[in-house]
Amino acid sequence: MNYIIAMLLITLGFYCLLIKRNLIKLIIGLSVMTDGIHLFLISMGYREGGIAPIAFGEWLKPPGFAARAVDPIPQALVLTSIVINICILALALSLTIFAYRHYGTTNLSKLKRLKE
Amino acid sequence: MAAESVLFGRGFWGPIIATAAMLLIAAVGGLILLGGRRITKVKPSAGKLKTYACGEELEASDIHADSEQFFSPIRRVFKPFYRYIRPAHSGDLSNYLFWVVVGLIIILISIAAAMG
Amino acid sequence: MTHAPILAIVLMVFGAFLTPVVGISARKLGLKRAREYFVIALMLAELALVLSMFKQVWGGQVLTYKLGGWQPPWGIALAVDGLNMFVAMVVAGMGLLVAVYSYVYMERDTGLDQFYTLFFLTMGGMMGVTLTGDIFNLYVFFEIMCISSYALVAFRRKWDSIEAGLKYMIVSSFGTSFILLGIAFLYGQAGSLNIADLIQKLEGISSSNLIVPLSLFVAGFGIKIAMVPLHMWMPDAYQAAPSAMAALFSGATATVGIYAMIRVVYILFGAFAIGITFATLGLVTMVLGALMALAQRDLKRLLAYSGISQIGYILLGIGLGTVLGVQGGLFHLFNNAIYKTMLFMIAGAIVYRVGTSDMDQLGGLWKNMPVTGTLFAVGALAISGVPPFNGFASKWTIYVAGIEAGRPVFTIIALITSALTLAYFLKALNSIFLGQRPKHLSDVKETPLPMMFPIMLLAVLCVVFGVLPQLGIDLVRPAQEAVMNSSGYISAVLGGA
Repeated sequence: MNYIIAMLLITLGFYCLLIKRNLIKLIIGLSVMTDGIHLFLISMGYREGGIAPIAFGEWLKPPGFAARAVDPIPQALVLTSIVINICILALALSLTIFAYRHYGTTNLSKLKRLKE
Repeated sequence: MAAESVLFGRGFWGPIIATAAMLLIAAVGGLILLGGRRITKVKPSAGKLKTYACGEELEASDIHADSEQFFSPIRRVFKPFYRYIRPAHSGDLSNYLFWVVVGLIIILISIAAAMG
Repeated sequence: MTHAPILAIVLMVFGAFLTPVVGISARKLGLKRAREYFVIALMLAELALVLSMFKQVWGGQVLTYKLGGWQPPWGIALAVDGLNMFVAMVVAGMGLLVAVYSYVYMERDTGLDQFYTLFFLTMGGMMGVTLTGDIFNLYVFFEIMCISSYALVAFRRKWDSIEAGLKYMIVSSFGTSFILLGIAFLYGQAGSLNIADLIQKLEGISSSNLIVPLSLFVAGFGIKIAMVPLHMWMPDAYQAAPSAMAALFSGATATVGIYAMIRVVYILFGAFAIGITFATLGLVTMVLGALMALAQRDLKRLLAYSGISQIGYILLGIGLGTVLGVQGGLFHLFNNAIYKTMLFMIAGAIVYRVGTSDMDQLGGLWKNMPVTGTLFAVGALAISGVPPFNGFASKWTIYVAGIEAGRPVFTIIALITSALTLAYFLKALNSIFLGQRPKHLSDVKETPLPMMFPIMLLAVLCVVFGVLPQLGIDLVRPAQEAVMNSSGYISAVLGGA
């Protein structure tokens, strides 16, 4: 079920990036698409009835920590990726502010002065 | 020298010999050019240095050769390509992302055909 | 020394953090150019570090460094073999030359503390991509390099820089999210993130499961190296970036992108069968770059399309898959870094002295800048594959590889494109340096000497590798053996102490 929602988010992000014409909507579409990828990554490490991967006293008893824990590696990957996407979001929004000052609009079809 | 002719496939290419030969022939050509210069200095009157345009007065900017005109016959040869390629390089960002998706589909199909 | 791989990355990142401190204290103490000397000193130390790894890797040994002492595949490992060493030398060398060049070029801009910080972050990202042995580490350093380059393209906040930076950013973020999705699929199939471990685990998985991750990786890295039809951001970005940074991007960033593509496609997936895709897309890239460059009016945009065309040659060489093809492709990568950086530096010198790079308004600058004109002619002849320069040696290897692989059509199209390359460079040379000089350009001075020094050094390298091409092939041979045969790499990373 998680995988279907993740693929839906990625497809919606794709659609938004290709069709919409406002810069702010493009940035929101990029953010939605990367959120879909993060959801896909986390749900790949999920185990039914698993416990959080923190090695605490009573959870080290049999049947063993490694047999019951949810996979911690995708969680680390997603944390790193969320931080990278915050940097991209901040830089994109500040460039949009500058573009609004120069061009007076955030419509993509007006941003065509550099062509060929 | 023998190792380099084996490396570069059929044919013999010895770069040191070739460079020495080019420099020697360039020196001989330079000597020939120097020997053919005139001894007396030229002193044309002011009217001879201007361009003749059938008696009209021309601005300096009109007679400056554009960079666009250089090698234009080659562009005329490739005109069917230019009719499709030049409008595709418009400055539109949605156009760029559309071509990225087209590229992804082309790569997917060709890798599936080559490997699967 | 055993710590050289990690020090090469850490030195760049610490330099990024220390540059604002040095800048502020230089202003307080009144030392004028202390920040630029600090930058050049750090880049010299970096080049010395990279060259200290040279002796060991040259003999065929693979240097590994385990971060924190954790054994791979549970920990992150840095692994340096022949291919890594080659790319690291190119990146460090180009970084040093661009740092010396921007000593004079950027002196009229303000905000130089932030410029050098971003420069060090880009260099750190590039070194990280080159030296790592873990695929998610590669993604993180790749993102560091990309984000710093978005900010560097939009550095002068004029209308064209902002527009180019915005387009570059959105297209390239799209590409790196493809890479992340590819890593997600790969982790789901194989369960590991270490490159050497993945090579072993992927041999047991049927190839129809690997089509989607492989094509996502090729598309993601293909956006970075401007393969057609993913190339459309490149002319805008190179036209609007400051010329020192355009030189760094076209010399070093394209090299790092192609290295990442080779490492993932040929070594990780072992997919030599898709070389025909690379060769065909390389042909289309070559021809499209040359045709569009013939119709340009602006010098930096023409050089950007020319760069796209040369990347097409490299993809053709690598895609042919034979020994001679991969050697030719890697040698052409090295030559491309040398003469593309040189040509962008010359374009920057013209912009610095005249103020514009529009070829319609320039003309007859040979009388004012004779040395610059001669070096531009050397670069133009080298890039077109005219003997006795280095472009001829690498292009000849690619032509012979095309014929020996049984596809003479590739060689014929590559030859026609070489002629087109000479055509548009002659157009650029004529429009800028020869011809009549307009009145407003009569007192343009020669390029200043600190800017001339890197250009002359690169021109000397062009001539040296052209007269002695055996030197270039010897340089490339360990890299080519590392591409074809990865068993030494696996045993060194996983089996070592």
